[in-house]
Amino acid sequence: MGYVAIKGGGRAIAGTEAALESLRCAEGEAGTPLSLDAIEQQLRLLTSRVVSEGGLYHPRLAALAIKQMQGDTLEAAFALRAYRSTKPRLLDLPLQETGPMRLIRRISSAFKDIPGGQMLGPTTDYALRLMRLDLADESPEAFRAVSRRFLDGVDEATLPDSFPKVVDALRHEGLLLPLERNATTAFDITRDPLVFPVPRSAALATMARAETGSLLAIAYSNMRGYGDVHPTIAELRVGYLPVMLPHPVSGEPVEIGEVLITECEVVAMYEAQEDASVEGDGTENQTSPPTFTLGYGACFGHNETKAISMAILDRALQKGMRDGPSNPSEDPEFVLLHIDGVDSMGFASHYKMPHYVTFQSDMDRLRTTRDKATAAPKPQGDSA
Amino acid sequence: MNHAYEIPARGQWLRLWSALSARPLKVLAEGLAERYAAEDLTLPQSGLGLLPLCDSALGDTYYLGELPLAQAHVRLHTEDGQTVEGAATLMDDRAGLARALAILDGVLAARLPGHDQAAQLLAEGAAVVAEQTRQRQALLAATRVDFSLLGSAGEDDDE
Repeated sequence: MGYVAIKGGGRAIAGTEAALESLRCAEGEAGTPLSLDAIEQQLRLLTSRVVSEGGLYHPRLAALAIKQMQGDTLEAAFALRAYRSTKPRLLDLPLQETGPMRLIRRISSAFKDIPGGQMLGPTTDYALRLMRLDLADESPEAFRAVSRRFLDGVDEATLPDSFPKVVDALRHEGLLLPLERNATTAFDITRDPLVFPVPRSAALATMARAETGSLLAIAYSNMRGYGDVHPTIAELRVGYLPVMLPHPVSGEPVEIGEVLITECEVVAMYEAQEDASVEGDGTENQTSPPTFTLGYGACFGHNETKAISMAILDRALQKGMRDGPSNPSEDPEFVLLHIDGVDSMGFASHYKMPHYVTFQSDMDRLRTTRDKATAAPKPQGDSA
Repeated sequence: MNHAYEIPARGQWLRLWSALSARPLKVLAEGLAERYAAEDLTLPQSGLGLLPLCDSALGDTYYLGELPLAQAHVRLHTEDGQTVEGAATLMDDRAGLARALAILDGVLAARLPGHDQAAQLLAEGAAVVAEQTRQRQALLAATRVDFSLLGSAGEDDDE
């Protein structure tokens, strides 16, 4: 750490830990420690954000990190990343498809009728942003009755475990290009540095664990005018993805757990597709009928704003990678190097560390420059 | 033995057992481990797995992130000299739990004596999963929406 050319301070640094801990417990006798269950369940969107930005689907540890970091999502994601760095990689799982997701929400802003129907699920999309003052003094009895009352009020329904995808219907109509599996090995951002140009798999992985606000800010720049994606949400899905692995003995697929994810496909403006074929005179490319273009976003947890932002940026980056960037949101280097919360928070936070030597050097140079300016002879003719 | 509960496919066992708390699973597995002289074929361990997804827009493979994993692989020796294998990889940090489930997996797959208790735990896990499914389906059923365009239908909000 070249910046920290200091020693000492050990007692004070230990004191900061105690001081921080004392504020966490400042309620004293009147307080009750937060349980991890309470954080995981009642602050589920906060937990979702941390598992997503930490890049590790471990809601229990995310809840612990939130408690330990006193609600700071950046520090909580940092703690989760630090934890993961201590664990061995046991295996690369086989490729998973999101089709079998067990949904709790699916909507489309492109079509009002989608195969299987739209289900709004748990959302604040249509809610008034009015303060619910009754929550300020909620009794345990009232709290416990809510879920039971909700379930009692819902008609028993037998719904399928999973639903068809809206983009598949568009493909069936020929309005999207056919889906072609790309068997290329995906880029592992946890092992390899981003050296540009990077493949799209690196961009998707980087955005999947990006800081939500950073991703939103750059996507918003595209939406507002520094870009031209003009998205329509073909489908936004929230649900539990069963993770499958072959059984080591029998080889049959085994469900080893499930992961809550949010997935979004946006339809963007259509464009003509260049055919690889060449016309008879050998000079002109044919073009296929125009089709819509797509952007894709997905992340751990229930993070809709993040998935939508990612899908918009995916589309913008596809265009930038193909034609060269015409605005910041189409520039892979600009986007992918500035959206990681742990990286950017670390850079900002490092300015708090002692820079006594480097700043002393800055002051010395300023004094020298000023001395030189004072000692320098005045230009001739300047008699004023 | 005649089970009131039909044992599901092996691919679902881990999901159902994992829906229960670890304690009854470990207690049962400890007894079975002793009875069948469980031998570790690989050291039970915990770590991470990288989750690759297929992007449903363009078909690219990418990594969504990492998961906690625990895995174990055991061999069980029966009194008549036969051996059977059981294995478990689950999304969890606890290598000990993975070993317990690997033992239950081997016992139940070979229908060794004692497998009925493992099957009973499957049934209990299935009840937990069924309740979880009911809760999730309620989220969908209560919010199914049928939007209509203005002017294309009666405009009373009589859903």
